[in-house]
Parts: sequence; structure tokens; C-alpha cells
Amino acid sequence: MTDLVKENILLNAVTSAFKIEGKVIRDRRVEVHADKNTVSSILLFAKKQLGYIHMNHMTCIDWIEQGEFELVYTIYHPVDKLTLFVKTRIDREIPVMENIDTIWDHANTYEREMREMFGIEFPGLVGEHDFILEDWDQIPPMRKEFDTHKYAAETFYTRPGREDAKDVREELSKRSGTVVPDFAKKYSRE
Amino acid sequence: MVREKETTLYIGPQHPGITGNMMVKLKVQGDTVVSAATHVGYLHRAFEKLIERRNWIQAFTLLCRFCVPEPDPMELTYARAVEELDNREVPERAKYIRVIVMELARMQSFMLWYAGQSGSAGLYLTPQWSVGDRNYILDLFEDLTGGRIYHMYIWPGGVRRDLPEGWTDKTLRTMDYIEKRLDEYNKILFDNTIFQKRAQGVGIVPKDKAIEWGVVGPVLRGTGIKSDVRIDEPYEVYDKIDFDVPTQEGGDIWARALVRKEEVRQSIRIIRQAIADMPGGAYYNKVSNPMKWTVPAGQAWAKTESVRGEIGFHVTSDGGNKPYRVHVKGAAYTHGVTVLEKILPGQNIADVSFILNSLGVCPPEIER
Amino acid sequence: MENDKNSQKIVDYIGNFARKHSLFVLAYGTGCGAIEIPATMTSRYDAERFGIRGAATPRQADVLLITGYLSTKTLKRVIRVYEQMQEPKYVIGFGSCTVNGGMYYDSYNTINGLDQYIPVDVYINGCMPRPEAVISGFVKLQELIMAGKANNGEKYRENLEHYRSNQKKIIKNWKMPDYNW
Repeated sequence: MTDLVKENILLNAVTSAFKIEGKVIRDRRVEVHADKNTVSSILLFAKKQLGYIHMNHMTCIDWIEQGEFELVYTIYHPVDKLTLFVKTRIDREIPVMENIDTIWDHANTYEREMREMFGIEFPGLVGEHDFILEDWDQIPPMRKEFDTHKYAAETFYTRPGREDAKDVREELSKRSGTVVPDFAKKYSRE
Repeated sequence: MVREKETTLYIGPQHPGITGNMMVKLKVQGDTVVSAATHVGYLHRAFEKLIERRNWIQAFTLLCRFCVPEPDPMELTYARAVEELDNREVPERAKYIRVIVMELARMQSFMLWYAGQSGSAGLYLTPQWSVGDRNYILDLFEDLTGGRIYHMYIWPGGVRRDLPEGWTDKTLRTMDYIEKRLDEYNKILFDNTIFQKRAQGVGIVPKDKAIEWGVVGPVLRGTGIKSDVRIDEPYEVYDKIDFDVPTQEGGDIWARALVRKEEVRQSIRIIRQAIADMPGGAYYNKVSNPMKWTVPAGQAWAKTESVRGEIGFHVTSDGGNKPYRVHVKGAAYTHGVTVLEKILPGQNIADVSFILNSLGVCPPEIER
Repeated sequence: MENDKNSQKIVDYIGNFARKHSLFVLAYGTGCGAIEIPATMTSRYDAERFGIRGAATPRQADVLLITGYLSTKTLKRVIRVYEQMQEPKYVIGFGSCTVNGGMYYDSYNTINGLDQYIPVDVYINGCMPRPEAVISGFVKLQELIMAGKANNGEKYRENLEHYRSNQKKIIKNWKMPDYNW
């Protein structure tokens, strides 16, 4: 096993410069937790000073119980082969986040998707509001409280005979009249 | 020169030259593109939302449909992310089988690329040959998994079933056949002056900007930068296998075509080595009851080199029996929107679908 | 299946015979099923034996092949394409997701059941249907044409109100956005 030297150097460089928490997850993976206002300066610092010039991806996780959105920025160093995650949490009620498409151009695509799917606002973001959906009048669909099954059942025509989450083995036994064997019962859903 | 009027031109969604169901809006002056904008969303199936309603194993039926030409890298990447969360070991034999499946998937996708790339240049013989030969690889998949296109073969903890009897011999025979055919493809495609003249100097991705724009895979290697997840962050048994990562200078369609041409040969080389070195033993580290299986809480990021470049899965678990959130980053996500919009200005209208094919834009992966 | 020329006028019989052997399929890959179309059209399966080949534009095409799920955004374009096609025209639903939604039955963005929105002549089930299944579906369509039973355009015209009301349930805004058409 490697002794995680490069990872710890990276962690120290970022955490000491911004006075934030972080940890080494495993070899080649380091994460730091930042306040939402410092994210763009961390990303800029990592890109200009540390050489993390490639942004792999950014994503949003809806923690509905805590009332927060978690944003994860994944950036990559093409020479050291290290991946740095910058994680931040924003309020679910006032979802506003800094726009970083001046640092990486393709962040624009991710942000447009997040604006549409989670309803997060990025001030100064250019591009049409309809990126994927068209004429959408419900709440942003990737939020946890949006029930896609209910919406689909109400909106679209359902062919009769289709029900959700049935146990195949039990259905077959009902139809043919055979009994489900004991060894199979432990694999049933409930 | 007379300044010509600017016209708006829509390519897609119903257009034979486009690489799927998407749309590119062009502003053109005469024959030259002034600006381009990509519009997607025609294939949005809400995969990431549906996965939250499926359990960990059921998610595989959805996963492989993310990008149709290459379902297997998606399965592998997700399986690796789940294995990382669950600390699940994979038997050595399963790792070799996975490498073989991945390289077969790469080859069949390159065969399809041959068809798309030459078809968009107006050369219709190559599609007839390469899609026909691709069926031989799909036959191997059918023997192994039961499906031609979608396999659902790779699982967390290994693969679903062992190799059937005689499958390795059949694979080696198919590899011999395809290696022989590659020389003939060279004659009809790469030695063809029409293709060379169309491809050289068109659709250039600048080397100094490439990494910053998020370019990955063969497109990045076509600019002369050696970058491949298989050597940068070796997964499965790629570190035990001897293979080259081809690069080309130039960054144009021609350079990317040469990179892909060489990669098919490397895939054949990898498959031969993997079959020769494959150990015996178990192929699956069993999950007790997949329907009730829970995965410890946490987040994992796994990435894999697919045909068009790096594919990443960000998987979040809350400790339940369903994924809390799965986010997919495919290669086309940047290639199809940012990179395309940046390199199209200045090109000829006739080259647009040619460039789309060479960037490997796969619209279902952009909107999922 | 009645397939003898005695039940039809001789003109219809000749017309149907000709139509049966030149099915031009609109090249519109609406979903992932489009991946098996190249395999069907090229050397191994060679669908051109049956007179099946691609057409680039809706007005020149006979068959609209819906290759898989339809998102609501695509449905709007498909209806537009379908209405541009000239009669006689035929629709083939390809894949389980056109029949009842398939694995996307609970998705908020894909329709379940294509025949609610446009009439369908033949369904090919499976995910994904093999090229043999695709060819067999086309052969079934040819039988229907020969028997004079494939009257898709007529069905649409006669039941236009029914189809329109179903379409309007999903498509709220019939105007195309400025980035399209």
C-alpha cells in the first residue's frame, strides 16, 4: 500500500490556506468541506496554484431531511493523478450558489442542468432556462419530494394489467396454482 | 468579398447526419458556421430519478441503457463505485473476465464508429463491412450473457456467470478474423483520399485548451496528450497487462481516427493476454439476498475508460437498500455541448456531422 | 388473413403489391432502439431484401419507426413529423417501452403506450428487439398492407379528436420554441 504522502501534502495545502476541514478518503482521493462562499476561491486556487486544471464533474445531492443541498465539485490533477472533492452545503429554502463557469467553461452545462433539475440559482449564468425539459410546470423533478410515479400515473395513459413492485414468483404461483417452495420464500420482497 | 447574410440553420432532431436524437442550431454565413448551440433533452428518461426508486441490483437494468453503443463501461463503473462503498472484494478471475468484456465492448463500439465516421463522409461501403463484422462480437456477447446489446453481466462482487465452455476459443478465433479484417478497413477507409482530404485539418481541438475544456479519451489523445484511466488509475487487472496507449499530434479528425484505428489493435492484444493469463476459481463474491441488500452510507467516485473517454459515477448511499443518488458524467457531456460549440465556428456546414461523429457525441448520455 | 385478390379491386391489389415491396423508413432514431437499425440494414441481416430502406425526409417516407421510449419533448416533434408524412403511411412501435412504458413506466418524462397519441400498425416487443424480430415485424406489416388493412392515415383522420385530446393532455404549448424549426 502507498503511504498517502502526496494526498496528505495536498490536504495540508488546501486546508491551511483556507482554514477548513478535510480528510484523505483513500489513495488518490482527498476531500475538503468548505463554506459556500469560499468554494470558488478554493477551486481557483487549486486550478492556478496546484495545477488541478481538469474538472471531472460537479453534482448535487438533495438531503431533504437536513434541509440542505450538498454540492460536490470533483477536480483532477493530470500529472499527479489525484482527485480532489470540494464539498459544500447550501440551504434548501434559498438555493443560491456561486457561478463558476468563468473558471471552467463546461461548468456552464452542469449548472444549467442543476438549475433545471434542482432549482438552484446561479447568479450570472447564461443560457436558456429550458436545457432538458420543455414546458415544465411542476417543482424541479430531481428534488426528493417530487413523486415521479404518481406524476406518471396521473399524466400518462397506463395500459391495464401493469402494477408496481410485484413478486414474480408469487404471481406465477397464483396464476398456475402451484405453491411457492419454502426455500424461495426467503427471497421474497417482504 | 461581399459580406453575406447570416442565416439560422437547424440540424436535427430528425436528421440522418446527427448521432442520435439531438439538435444543433447553427448560425451560418454562406457555407461557414458562425456560431453553434447544442440543444438536448429529446432522450431524457429521468434515469437518475428512477434509480432512486430501484434497489441496488435493479439499478443495473437502467444503468446499461445510459449510452446505447457502450453499455458495459456503465455497469462496470457503477459496480466499482458500489464495491468501494461496500468494501467488497472481487475474485481474481472475475477481474480478468471484466477486462475481456470491457475490451470487447470497446471493439464493438469502434466498429460502430467506423460506420458512423465513414457514413458521414459519404463512404457507404465501410458501414456494410464494419457493422457486419460487429455482429461477430455481438455473437460472443450473446453466448456469454444472452443479450446482443444490453448485458447486465457485471455485478458488484464479480460477474453473473462463468465463461461458457469453448467461449475463449471462439473469442480467439474472432480476434484473428477481426485482426485480418482491419488491414482491409485500412484500404477502404484510411488509404482513401476522400477520407484523408475530408478529415485532415478539420475540427481541430487545441492542445493547450483541451484539458481545461474537459476533453477526454481518444479526442484528448488525438491532441498528443497521453491520458487514459486504464494507466492513470489502473482498475481491475489493467496494471498486469501490457498494452500501449496510442497518441497522435494535430487534434483534428484525422488524428482522432488514427488513434481509434490503433486502439482496436490494442484491444485485441489485451484480450489475448487476458485469456492467456486468466486464473481459475470463483467468479462471483456472492451477495446474500440482492433484493434486501443494503450498502453502508457514504459517497464514492469511480471512473472508467470507455470508448469515448472517461466515464464517472458519483454514487451516494444513505445506508438503505436503494441508492440515494447516482450521478453520471459521460464523455459526451462536455464533448457534445461545450467543446462542440467551441470548435464548430469557422467550419463548413458539410463537416458538422463529420465532427459530431469524431467527437463521439452520444446524446442519451448528456441528458440521461 | 385474407390475402387473395378476389376480395380487393384489381387496382388496389396492384397498388398494395407495389407498396408492400418498397417500404421507405424515416431515419429518425427516437430512442435507443436506433442501435439495431444499422445492424438490420447492413450485410448480415440485409433488410433491403424485403424492400426496406431508409429515407431522409418525412415527406418521402412511408414508415415511421418509433425506436423505443418517447419523451414528451420528442413526442411533440414526432407528431409533427407524422403529420408531414404523406399517405399511405404506417407506424411501427419498436420495443417494449412503446407498448406500455416498459422499464420507464414510472418516469415523468416518457409516455406509456404510443397508440394513445398516434395510431400504430405493428408493435415489436422486446428490449431490445433483435434484427430478426424487426424484420418479422416488417413482414407482418407487409401482410397487413397486402390485405388492405394498414390504413393508418385514415384512422388518424377519422379519430383526430380522440388523438388530439390525448396529445393535448401532455403537450401544453403547441408553439415550437424559437430554437426549433
